[in-house]
Amino acid sequence: MSATPASVTTGASPRRARRLPRWSLPTLGFLGLAAAVALPWLVNGYVIALAATALVMAVLAMSAQLLVGWAGLSPLGQAGYLVVGAYMAARVATLTDLGPVQVLAATAAGAVAAAVTGSLAVRARGIPFLMVTFGLGELVHAAANQWAPGGSEGTHTAPVAALPGLPAMVRPGWVYLYVLACVLVIGAAVAVLVRTRFALLLRAVAAHEPRVQAAGHHTGRLLLAAYTIAGGIAGAAGALAIAVTRYVSPADAAMGVSALALAAALIGSGSMLGAGAGAVLLVAARDWVSGLLGGHGPTLLGLCFLLLAYLPRLRQASRTLRLPRRRT
Amino acid sequence: MGLNVLVNPYTMTALDGVAYGLLLFTIAAGLTLIVGVAGVFSMAHGTLYLAGAYLAWYLADGGWTGLALALAAAVVVGAVGGAGLAAVVRPLVDRPLGQVLATLGIAYLGADQFNQVFGAEPRSVDPPRAVAGSVALGDYQYPIYRLLFIAIGLVLVVGLFWLVERSRAGAVVRAVVADPGMAAATGLRTSAVRVGVLVGGGVLAVGAGVLGAPVIGPSPGVDTTVLAYSLIVCVVGGLGSIRGALLAALGVGQILTLGVALVPGVAAFILAAAMLVALTVRHRAALPGQPA
Repeated sequence: MSATPASVTTGASPRRARRLPRWSLPTLGFLGLAAAVALPWLVNGYVIALAATALVMAVLAMSAQLLVGWAGLSPLGQAGYLVVGAYMAARVATLTDLGPVQVLAATAAGAVAAAVTGSLAVRARGIPFLMVTFGLGELVHAAANQWAPGGSEGTHTAPVAALPGLPAMVRPGWVYLYVLACVLVIGAAVAVLVRTRFALLLRAVAAHEPRVQAAGHHTGRLLLAAYTIAGGIAGAAGALAIAVTRYVSPADAAMGVSALALAAALIGSGSMLGAGAGAVLLVAARDWVSGLLGGHGPTLLGLCFLLLAYLPRLRQASRTLRLPRRRT
Repeated sequence: MGLNVLVNPYTMTALDGVAYGLLLFTIAAGLTLIVGVAGVFSMAHGTLYLAGAYLAWYLADGGWTGLALALAAAVVVGAVGGAGLAAVVRPLVDRPLGQVLATLGIAYLGADQFNQVFGAEPRSVDPPRAVAGSVALGDYQYPIYRLLFIAIGLVLVVGLFWLVERSRAGAVVRAVVADPGMAAATGLRTSAVRVGVLVGGGVLAVGAGVLGAPVIGPSPGVDTTVLAYSLIVCVVGGLGSIRGALLAALGVGQILTLGVALVPGVAAFILAAAMLVALTVRHRAALPGQPA
C-alpha cells in the first residue's frame, strides 16, 4: 500500500469546530441501546433473526477493524476464523448447551487458528496481506469441505442456554437478546483493548513501521498478537452465529462474508462503533432491502462496495482516525 | 513398450495436474501482470474466467465453429471487460483498498447477473466432437481434449514468454513492473501500459474460460475458486513475474490433483505451506513501493 501523505493527519483542527455537544453521544448511545433491547417486542420474527445476524456480523466487523483501523492491515479472510469458532462451538455444543462456554471455546479456537496462520499473514503488508488472508480464508473453506463433520452439508446444533439452569432458547427474540448481551460484553472488552498501550503501538506500526522497530519493538510480534486477538473475536462471532442459525457449514467461510466484514470496517473508518454500524447497514442492504425488492442481494452489496470505493473518505480510512477525544 | 512403465494411475493424475496447472497459468499470468504492472488487485478476475466458461457453454455446438465463435467472443468480452476495469479503477490510483472494493463490487454484480441469466445449477461443457473421445495410453483411457488443452497451454506458455521476455512490448511491461517512476521518466506512457495489461489480462482470463470450460465447468462459485487459486499462484510465484507464475501454477496444479490423490485432505495445507515458503524466501519483498 502506498504511504499516506503526511498532510492528511493534520486535518483535525477544522473538524473540532463543529463537534457535537458533550451530552449528545451518551444520549444517542443510550437511545440506540434502548431501541436494540426493545426490538423483539417491536418487529416480527424474520426481522429479529436478521437483526441477530447483523449483530454477529458486527462482531466480525470489529475483528476486522482491529486490523484495518489499528494495525493498518486489511484482512479478507476473517470468515475463516468465524467458521473455525463455529465448528468448535458446534463440537462443544454436543457436551454442554451453555452458550457462554461455547463462546469461550470458540474464542480460543479462533485465536489458536489465527496464531498458527497469522505467522504467515503478518509477513505481508498492504495488498499482499489482503491476498494472503484471502488465500487462507479460501483454504479454511476448502479444508472445512473435506474434514469438518457433515462435509459440505454442514452440521446442525442444539439450541443454546444463556445461563446454567435456564431452558434452552428456541424463540428468536430470546436468542436475539442473548446475542445482544454477548455483543455488548465483547464490545466492552474491545473498547478496553483499543485504549491500551498495545493498541497505540499498533497504530504506530500502521503509521510508520520502521520507526517503531527503531524504538525497539518487535513489530512482527505485535502484529501477530493483533491478528490472534482478531481471530479470537472472529471465533466468538462464530459461536454467536450458531446460536442464531443452529447450523454451520463451510459456506459460512465464503469470501463474501469476509468481504462484508472488511467493507464494514472501512465504512467505520477507524472506529469500532462505526464498524459495527457498517455491518448492520450492509446486512440490512443485503438481506432486508433485497427482500423488499425481490432478491438481488449480491447486486445491492456490490453497489454498496462500488459506492464505498468512490467515497473520498476511504482515502484515509485505514491509516488515520478522526474521532475526537481518543488518546492518540 | 517402455511407455507402460510410465503409465500408471499416478502419472495419469500428474498429467491431469499439468493440464490444470497450465489452465491456472493462463489465468494467473494475466493477474500477476495486472497486479505487478497496474498495481490493481482485480477481484473480478475470476468473474472474467466464469464469463468465458459461460460463453463456451452458450456457444458450444459440438463442432469447431462453436469453439471458434466462443474464442472470438472471448477476445471481445475480455478486451471490453479489461478496458472497463481500467476505467473503473482509473479514479482510484494510489487507493488500493478502493480498487479492491470496486472490483469486488463488480464481481458481485457479475455473479448475480450470471445467476440470473444462466441459473444456479452447474453446467457441463462438452469439447468439440472431434476431440471429445479418449485415447488409449497403455492400459488407460485419457480424454483427447485434455491432451489438446496441454498442447494449447504449452503454445500459450511459449507465446507469453516470447511476448513478455523477448518482444519490445514485453520489455516495456517489465520496465514498468521494475520501476514505474523511472519508466515514466524515460518517456514510457505508463498509464497506456497499465490499460494494455488490464485488457491483455482480461482477454487471457476470458479465453482461458472458453478453453478451460470442459476442465473447470461454469457454475456459481467458480469465480471465487479460480480467483483464490490464481492469486495463490501469484503470491507463490511473485507479483509481476511470468516465470514464477508458470512454476507456481504447475506446482499448484500438481498439488490439487496428484497431492489430493496421494494424501487426501492435506492439499490445503500444502498450498498454505507453499505460500509460507514463498513469503519467507522473499521476506518483506513486498513493502510499499517495491515490486515483489
